[in-house]
Amino acid sequence: MTPDKSDVLYGTLGLMVIKTLEALGPLHGYRIARRIEQISGNQLALNQGTLYPALLKLEQMGWISSKWGTSESGRRVKIYALTRAGRKQLHNEEAQWQRAASIVERFLKISEGRS
Amino acid sequence: MTRLRIFLVRLWGLVRSRQMDREIDDEIASHLAEATEEYVQQGLSPEEARLAAQRSFGGVPQTKEVYRQVRSFLWLEELPRDVRYALRTLRKSPAFTATAAATLALAIGANTAMFSVLNAVLLQPLPYQSPEQLAMLWTEDPTQNLRDGRSALWDVEQWQHQSQSFADMATFDSVTTTLTGAEGAEQIVGASISPNLLWLLGVQPVRGRNFSREETEEQKRLVLISHRFWQVRFGGSNDAIGATLVLNGLPSRIIGILPADFRIAPLDADVWEPHTTHRNVRAAETWFVVGRLRPTVTFDQAQAEMSAVARRVNDQLPAAERSRGISVVPLNLYVVGPQSRLALWTLGGAVFCVLLIAAANVTSLSLARSTARAREMAVRAALGANAGRIVRQLLTESVVLAAISGLTGTLLAFGGIRLIRAFGPASVPRLNDVSLDLRVLAGAVAISLVAGILVGLAPAMTTMRRDLRPSGEEGGRSVSGGTVSRRIRRALVVAEFALAIVLLVGAGLLVRSWWYVNNIDPGFKPDRVLVMEVTAPPTFSGPAQRTDLYDRVLEQAQAVPGVESAGIIDDLFTANPREQVLTVERDEGTVSERLRFTRDEISADFFKTVGTPLLGGRFFSIGDRPEAPRVAIINDALARRSWPGHDPLGRRFTLGPRDSGGPWYTVVGVVGDMRRQGLEREALPQIFVSLAQNPPSRNVDLFIRTSSADPLTKAAALRTAVRRVEKNAAIYGVAPLEQQLGAYLAQRRFQTSLLTGFSLVALMMAAVGIYGLVQYSVATRTQEIGLRMAIGAQRRDILRMMIGEGLTLSLIGVALGLVGASWLGRAGSSLLVGVTASDRLTFTTVSLLLTAVATAACYFPARRAMRVDPILALRVT
Repeated sequence: MTPDKSDVLYGTLGLMVIKTLEALGPLHGYRIARRIEQISGNQLALNQGTLYPALLKLEQMGWISSKWGTSESGRRVKIYALTRAGRKQLHNEEAQWQRAASIVERFLKISEGRS
Repeated sequence: MTRLRIFLVRLWGLVRSRQMDREIDDEIASHLAEATEEYVQQGLSPEEARLAAQRSFGGVPQTKEVYRQVRSFLWLEELPRDVRYALRTLRKSPAFTATAAATLALAIGANTAMFSVLNAVLLQPLPYQSPEQLAMLWTEDPTQNLRDGRSALWDVEQWQHQSQSFADMATFDSVTTTLTGAEGAEQIVGASISPNLLWLLGVQPVRGRNFSREETEEQKRLVLISHRFWQVRFGGSNDAIGATLVLNGLPSRIIGILPADFRIAPLDADVWEPHTTHRNVRAAETWFVVGRLRPTVTFDQAQAEMSAVARRVNDQLPAAERSRGISVVPLNLYVVGPQSRLALWTLGGAVFCVLLIAAANVTSLSLARSTARAREMAVRAALGANAGRIVRQLLTESVVLAAISGLTGTLLAFGGIRLIRAFGPASVPRLNDVSLDLRVLAGAVAISLVAGILVGLAPAMTTMRRDLRPSGEEGGRSVSGGTVSRRIRRALVVAEFALAIVLLVGAGLLVRSWWYVNNIDPGFKPDRVLVMEVTAPPTFSGPAQRTDLYDRVLEQAQAVPGVESAGIIDDLFTANPREQVLTVERDEGTVSERLRFTRDEISADFFKTVGTPLLGGRFFSIGDRPEAPRVAIINDALARRSWPGHDPLGRRFTLGPRDSGGPWYTVVGVVGDMRRQGLEREALPQIFVSLAQNPPSRNVDLFIRTSSADPLTKAAALRTAVRRVEKNAAIYGVAPLEQQLGAYLAQRRFQTSLLTGFSLVALMMAAVGIYGLVQYSVATRTQEIGLRMAIGAQRRDILRMMIGEGLTLSLIGVALGLVGASWLGRAGSSLLVGVTASDRLTFTTVSLLLTAVATAACYFPARRAMRVDPILALRVT
C-alpha cells in the first residue's frame, strides 16, 4: 500500500470526483465521468474505466459512500454520495491545492519579470 | 489509522471478492448502457454508439484488473492458484521434487533439532523470577590459581554488609545425607541452604510453605523435599506435609514441597534443610553463593564494587590469604559455561552451514530446471504475465517446496530430539528440557521460509533479468543455458565446497581431540572394576571405629566369589585441590614450598585393585600399623617435582610448614600418575597415606576388581557383603569405573559425533552438487562435445576437460574453505585438546578427501561425455 504513480493519478481524479459530488449531490458512475469531462472542457483524456478503481479507493478511505439505486433512464446503478469525512477532506485538499497553485503562480511571475 | 482502515476494508474485500466481482460487472454494464444511450441520442447508430461507449470507457479487463488490485490483496487472491500450479509443476517432475525435498528436509530437520537444543539450553531464561538479576559470587585467588572457588559463610556476611549492589545473597551446598527408614539406611542427596534462598530466587513451594527466619534461628529441624522425592516416597499425597524423615539420625519435619525440576546451579537435591547464616569464625570455604542484584545495578558495577569489598575484607585476613578476590558471574553464564556455549554455538553454526549447502544444491537444481523452463516462461510472458508475476510464481514454487520439506524436516527433528534427549551427555545442562515447543516450531517455519526464499531467489532473479520475449530458435536447444545462471551455479559449487571443508576440518580436529583423549592413559585400568561409595553411619564417630569398619568391609568384599581384590580411597575423582605448603627433606636441607597436591587415605590393596603401576619401593602392607612410623606413597609427578633427579624412597616430608608439628612421613613407594581431575588434565602431585595410620573419612570410595567383564553383576552380592558388616552403612553411586570415566568423555563424544555427522552430510551434499553441475553441463554440451570429437579431440581430452571444469571449482572452494577453517579454528580452539587449531594432518587429510570426492563426483558424468557418439550428437538437432 505504498503510494505509487497511479496513486497520484487517483489523487487528482479523486479530488475531481468529490468536488463533483459536492456540487451536484449523489450521482452514479457514468454521470460523474461525464461531468468531469464537461468541466475539463474535454481537455482531459479520461478513460472512463479508470474512474471505478478511484471510486472504490475513495470509498475505502471513507470519503464517499455508495448504494444501489436507479438511474434517470431506469437502470440499476450504484449511486455515490459524499460523506461528512469526504467533505472535510475536500476542504483540506482545496486549500492545499490553492496554496500550492499560488506558490507556483508566484514563481512563474518572478521568472517572467526576469526575462 | 488510515492504513489500518484500508487494511481492514481490503480484508473485507477479500472475503466478499465473488460478490464484488459481480457488482463491478453490473456497474460497468450499466455504465456502457448509459453511454450507448447517450451516443444514440446524439444520432449515432446503435452499433456505432456501442463502440464509441466502449472506446471512451477504455479496456474493460484492465479496469477490472486495477479494480481488483485496489479491492484487496491481489497476490493473496492469486495465492491458492499459484500454490495449486506449483504443486502440479512439482508433481510433474518427481525426480527433482524428491531430491530437492529430501535434501531440504534433512537440513531443516537437523536445524530444527539443533535449534531446539539451543533454545532449551541457551535461550530459555532460567526458571527463576527475573533471572537476569541473579549472579554467582566466587572467591578467587590468583596466587593459588583459584577461580570460581567456594566461600566461607563468614566471608559472605562481610560481603553482604559492605556492598550495596546486591539486594540479597544466599548460600547453599550439597550435603550427603543418610536417610534411615524401615529398610535400613540409604544415601540421598541433601542440600543445606540459607533460609532466604527460595525468596531470593522467587520460587515458592508448590505445597506447604517455606522456612521462616525465626525457625531457622531456633534451629528447628525442618525440611523441604523435592517434587521427585514427594512422588516417589509419598505418591504425591498431601500427607507428606508434616511427616517426619530421619536424616543423619535425627528426625526432621517436612514443611513443604518444591516445584518439579527445581534446582539451583549444580544442586539437584531431594531434601533441603536450612542453615543459619550467623558465623563468628571463619569456617570451611564450602559454600556456593548466589546474589540478586538491585534492579538498576549492572554486573560490571557489581563486580567493581565487590572487588573493592574484597580488598577491604583481605585486610582482616591472615597475610597469606590477602590476595583474595571476588568474581561476579551471571547465573546463566555459570549454569551453561563458556565451553558448553562454544560447543553448542559451533554445532549450531555447523548445522546452519549444512542448511546453506542444501539450499545451494537445491538452488542449483532449480536453476538448471528454470533454464529448461525458459520456454514455458516465454509463453507465459507472451500471454501477458509481467516479470513480477512470473517471479512470484517461481517463489511460490520454491516456498511450496520448502513447506513440504519443512513438514518432513519437522518430523525428522521430532525423532532427532528424542535421540538427543536419550543419548545427550548429562554434562550439558538443561538437556532434558529440550522439546519441540512453539518457539522451536516457529523456528522451523522460519528456517523453512528462509530456505524457500533462498532457493527461489536465484532462479527468480535470473528469470527477471532474462529477456522474457519468446526467443525463437534459441528456445529450443540453447548452448548451455543462461550464462548468468551458469555463473551462479558455479559460484554455488565453490561455496558448497568452502563450507564443507570448514565443517570437515572442524570435525577432523574434534575427532583428533577425541582420539587423543580416548587414548590417554588415565593411570589405572578401569575395566572389570566396580565403584561403590560407602558412608559410615553417624554413630561411627571415632577414627578407630571407622578404620575397623573399613577393614571388615574389605575383608567381606574380598570373600565374595569372583572378586579379585578390593581397595578403598577416600575420594578418587577429587575436584581442584588448593595450594598448600609441603615441607620435604632433600640432600641440601629441608625445604618448604607451596604447591597444589592431593592427599588421600588408601587401603593396602588400593593400587593393586585399580591397576596403577608401582614404579619403585613397595605398597602399604600389614606391617604399617598405627603405632609404626608413618609411611607414604607418592606419585611420579611429586617425585619429579620435589626430588628432581634423586630417588625419593626413604625421604621424609610433612604436610604444612616445617614447624607445624604434624607427623613426618617416609616415602616407601612411588606409583604412576593417575589423571584424577579429568582425563584432559595432567596429573597433579599426589600423596597417599595409609588408612590404618591416618583417621579415615566418613565417606569412602570402595573399588572392587572382579573377574567378570561386567562388574555390575557382582553389585548385589557386594552390597549384601557390606550390609552384613554394618546394616546402617549407606551405599550409593554403584557403577563400573569405566562408566564413570565414560561420563568425562560423553560430552566430547556428543559434540564430536554430531559435528562429524553434519560434516559428512555436508560432504555428501557438496558431492551431489558438483555431480549435478557436471552432469548438467555434459547434458547441455553434447553437441559441442560431439563437435570437438569430430574435429579430432580424443576421449581422454574430453574426460580431462569435463573433470577439469568441476575440479577447478572444487579446488577454489577448498582453498577458500581452508582459509575460513584456519580462521574459525582459532576461534574454537578451546574445544580442542592434544591438537592445534592449525593441525597440518587434519587440513591435509580433509583437503585430499574432498578433492578425491570431487574427482569421483565429476568422473561419472564426465565418463558419459566421453562416450558421446559424435555422429549422433551432431545429427540430433
